Amino acid sequence: MKDLLLIKDLVIHFETDDGIVEAVNNITLGIKEGQTLGLVGETGAGKTTLAKGIMRLIHKPTGKIKDGEILYKDKDLLKLTEKEMREIRGKHISMIFQDPMTSLNPVMTVGEQIGEVIKAHNRISKKGIEKRTCEMLETVGIPSGRAIEYPHQFSGGMKQRVIIAIALACEPNLLIADEPTTALDVTIQAQVLEMMKSLKTEFNTSMLLITHDLGVVAQNCDFVAIIYAGEIVEYGELRDIFKNPKHPYTIGLFGSIPNLNDNVKRLKPIDGLMPDPMSLPKGCKFNDRCKFAMDICKEKNPEMVLLNNGHKVKCFLMQNNI
Amino acid sequence: MSNNEFVNKGATKNSGEGRTLWEEIRRRFKKNKFAVVSMYFLIFLIALAIVTIVIDIVDNSNIYNNYVIKQNLKDKLREPEFGNPSMIFGCDEFGRSILFRMIWGTRYSLFIGLIAVTVSLITGGLIGSIAGYYGGKIDNTIMRFMDILLAIPYMLLAIAIVSALGPSLINLLISIAIPKIPSYARIVRASVMSIKDLEFIEAGKSAGASDIRTIFKYILPNAMAPVIVQATLGVADAIISISALSYLGLGVQPPLPEWGAMLSAAKTYIRDAWHITVIPGLGIMFTILALNIFGDGLRDALDPKLQH
Repeated sequence: MKDLLLIKDLVIHFETDDGIVEAVNNITLGIKEGQTLGLVGETGAGKTTLAKGIMRLIHKPTGKIKDGEILYKDKDLLKLTEKEMREIRGKHISMIFQDPMTSLNPVMTVGEQIGEVIKAHNRISKKGIEKRTCEMLETVGIPSGRAIEYPHQFSGGMKQRVIIAIALACEPNLLIADEPTTALDVTIQAQVLEMMKSLKTEFNTSMLLITHDLGVVAQNCDFVAIIYAGEIVEYGELRDIFKNPKHPYTIGLFGSIPNLNDNVKRLKPIDGLMPDPMSLPKGCKFNDRCKFAMDICKEKNPEMVLLNNGHKVKCFLMQNNI
Repeated sequence: MSNNEFVNKGATKNSGEGRTLWEEIRRRFKKNKFAVVSMYFLIFLIALAIVTIVIDIVDNSNIYNNYVIKQNLKDKLREPEFGNPSMIFGCDEFGRSILFRMIWGTRYSLFIGLIAVTVSLITGGLIGSIAGYYGGKIDNTIMRFMDILLAIPYMLLAIAIVSALGPSLINLLISIAIPKIPSYARIVRASVMSIKDLEFIEAGKSAGASDIRTIFKYILPNAMAPVIVQATLGVADAIISISALSYLGLGVQPPLPEWGAMLSAAKTYIRDAWHITVIPGLGIMFTILALNIFGDGLRDALDPKLQH
């Protein structure tokens, strides 16, 4: 299947007064049409920066996309003018933000906010906008009568539904969901995810689901990419990653969540912390936390190794296996 | 199905107490009795000003010319008489009824104050929001220029502008409005800067909103609360400035019945006739008190942290 969005060698740096923050380093990643890619990583791994990079919403003037290409339908988003990019945002690619509490404009009614996106991207009458707004609200399970209410009158889960309605109002081809359920409690989380899943099938949308919750990934994704210190360390189909993780970091991630079937006294978290993105270690970024680290890991940054079935790993251990 | 039931239940519970933001603000404002009284007083003054303007248009300024402007020296410095409605505040040094002059003078103080603040609010707000939103070099250039304006004492700048342009109503307006621009620019810039990095701005942009749309629909409405309060307090400030300029002879020119000008003309007679200084003074004082209390009440009502 063809890639809807293909990121090639993307490098994003933040040039602050204290030094250069290397947030995203040489990421190459593809999202196929109609599929969901899960992007998993710790806090500060560069997940959100990558998402904002795709939307070209990196904070200026410190943040800079230094290198690479973002091909959407074979068009490089990084070469578009700001005006052309605005056309893409909301209509072709839209984004759901982490915290529903702060992602809605507090002084506009919910209906206006949904209507605004529709108005920005379609030439339809006021009546048409209203009708579509009500439809969207009903789609996400909110009675359309509530369109005249303000965000502070909604609960967190309902706000996230509104945000999803805004994101899907123009039926985008790609939806970037940046930890859409992190701020919600578990029962609401399940509802929202269930809804996103069914809407995704309804609108045939591709999705980039950013999360640090492997459970969420298991339920929703077709492909998984593991990101560490701004690099993709492992990529593959959901089944391959969950059944047969290869990268020591991925193995460590699975070791740090409880398993119902195993009888273990203690979980095995990964020792140490993510390296400071302002001074990344030489060689493999994971070498100082890795149990299997060899001499070469401290010297050279490993290349991506293709195993079977599109399963890719960035580790010297795998190179030796071949 | 069970999913939908849950949603609907939540909806009815919420819409039962459904209030819009403005209803909520009005409800909180009403809790402050002083502020409500002040608001009615200000509405009364504005109504008075409008009524006098309408009367002037209808009877061709007859009352204005005969009672407010025309001198009547046999009533010079006449003491207040409580039995006689038009003489309830007495007469000034030219025998004109102070009551009439006070009523007809409302428009100058109040409207010049309001217009001056509106002008400086709009200019300053625009400048401040551009500076705050774009930041960097644009911000630096604009704000350093504002700093220069801010460094000149307010009254001195106003005096300089009026003396350069010559005393007239329009020039008075300009001289009151221009020195106030930097302070509005600063306030708007600060609140724009605090709001522009919030997530909903980014969310709006990710939905395809342009810069202008982001500023006017997302940032400014959210930055308005401190600005509105500053503006109401600013009106009080402007009225004092008008009075001060009139007192110095640079503001509203005689025989126009502006309160500050009345006060200034009366100061010579303060030993012989107390009422011609006290009445305009009280008028200015109560108006400014009302504006301040109203501004305070508005600030409390607009502050979401005080929500109960």
